[in-house]
Amino acid sequence: MNTAFPFPLSGRSVPFSLGRLGIVAGNTFLEAVRQKLFNFLLLLAVALVASAQLFREFNFGSSELKFISDFGFGAMVFFGSTLTIAATAQLFFSEIENRTALTILAKPIWRTEFIFGKFLGVFAVVGVFCALTTILLLGLLYHRETALMTANPEAFEAGRIIHYGDLVLMGVLQWLKFGVLAAFTLLIASFSNTNLYTVVMGFFVLVICHLQYLARDAYGSVASLPLRLLVQLLGYIFPNFQVFNLADQIGIGVGIDAAVFLRVAGYALIYIAVIGALAVYSFRNREI
Amino acid sequence: MTPNTPASAIEITGLTKDFSLNLRGVKLRAVENLTLTVPQGEVFGLLGPNGSGKSTTIKIILGLLEPTVGECKVFGVPSGRVDSRLNVGYLPEAPYFYRYLSGEELVRFYARICGVPKKVLKDRVREVIDWVGLTGASHRRVGTYSKGMLQRIGLAQALVHDPRLIILDEPTAGVDPVGSAEISELILKLKKQGKTVLITSHLLAQIEDICDRVAILDKGKLIVEGAVNDLVGLRDRQSLIVDSLPPAELDELRGWLAARGHVLNAVEQPRTRLDQLFLSKVSRPKKEGDSQ
Repeated sequence: MNTAFPFPLSGRSVPFSLGRLGIVAGNTFLEAVRQKLFNFLLLLAVALVASAQLFREFNFGSSELKFISDFGFGAMVFFGSTLTIAATAQLFFSEIENRTALTILAKPIWRTEFIFGKFLGVFAVVGVFCALTTILLLGLLYHRETALMTANPEAFEAGRIIHYGDLVLMGVLQWLKFGVLAAFTLLIASFSNTNLYTVVMGFFVLVICHLQYLARDAYGSVASLPLRLLVQLLGYIFPNFQVFNLADQIGIGVGIDAAVFLRVAGYALIYIAVIGALAVYSFRNREI
Repeated sequence: MTPNTPASAIEITGLTKDFSLNLRGVKLRAVENLTLTVPQGEVFGLLGPNGSGKSTTIKIILGLLEPTVGECKVFGVPSGRVDSRLNVGYLPEAPYFYRYLSGEELVRFYARICGVPKKVLKDRVREVIDWVGLTGASHRRVGTYSKGMLQRIGLAQALVHDPRLIILDEPTAGVDPVGSAEISELILKLKKQGKTVLITSHLLAQIEDICDRVAILDKGKLIVEGAVNDLVGLRDRQSLIVDSLPPAELDELRGWLAARGHVLNAVEQPRTRLDQLFLSKVSRPKKEGDSQ
């Protein structure tokens, strides 16, 4: 081996590097797509989305298309949430339990790069999942809408009724929602000792985020001031996942309001940034 | 060595590390008031029974743990700083690498993390894989590697950025005598290149063969430290190895020594070591990788 190595490393400072972050993200993505769980959930989701055709309402009208759309996004939400929590916990703890984290963190790399790299790797995996299920759903809807247009031209006199672009935006919003969920799961993993605890807590967070609007509605007007403030505080800590559900507003019949879309996307990105920063802070103090 | 380069690769001063065991404040002291210096260019053995604080000390050197009290510097840089790891390569005990990557992909991954420039990346990865003798197996997935091969690919990832300090935590654990001897040879080659090597091992014969200096920890405290020859050599004894003597000539020699005030303490038949016998009898696997 050459003793005169051609690049000097000593005396260099080590600034934060998006390149190293990308390397960790790429490796996380590669690990995830080679895991059976990802393939299994993807197959299940694809099967469920595709099966929406079999359970449709046979009235040859727009409600059938609405059913396919709702069923497809329901499958995406269910399997996407499961995939997000399981993949985030598994990809983090595989590094800890297999001690590969030791070999990485013993290199000149910031823990911030490691955590955000992990997040981006999972976010990319979930992005692929959302893209594939959305494309499949769009294909199914297009195929069925075309068939219905042929069979019932009078119902489609004004042309196609599905706003396909808005359905793509709906897929993007689900992806961002999964990003918030992945950040929360990573935050839990950063201080948790076991994979199982992280997964269980991740599902708790998922349920809380989906149902917190009910608590706000119930306590917002009737409860005492301290309780109301507590509920409001919890409302800020846990994002309201209902805001990502624009299925009733977009896609079929009516279009999406661009301002609403941007506001929801911004809402998700702010949560991802804040929760991600908390995960970094927690992980920096973790003894590996 | 430039004037700005410290003479010590590692400098540990008054290091204590406590771990909290529960919320009531009960603590476990893993390392207590450790002061240790590892000079540059030496092979240094860190010894001790299980739970003596070796791994904790290594993790503090690598910046993976914060000391409770005291400080640790690597080439003059506090070990908690990221730039202290620019010149450190680390092979953990029983390494488990990404099974889904090939050996070459794995080393390339770590090389990129370390900032090896793109223009030399490919050559450097191949060079270091060749150096550890895994060229023929570099395209196989790491999941198919034997323990000896895992140690060697681990050594390759530790060396890929050409660090000046290499830390090897139990590099021969679970490796057969042939693989263990090969790792010893690699360590001695590193020493010839001027590298500093910090090694922990329970194979004390191996440590004795390759280390310049050792430190022994027990219950977190340093109990012995010094050059191997100084520690294990018996200064008031010498051994003479001669061809077998008939009993009469042996008696004559004993008398000759007694006349000069010396005592012949022992007459023994020299023995080869079992590991040397093993290595001389067993064929070594080809350099392309272990026989599976």
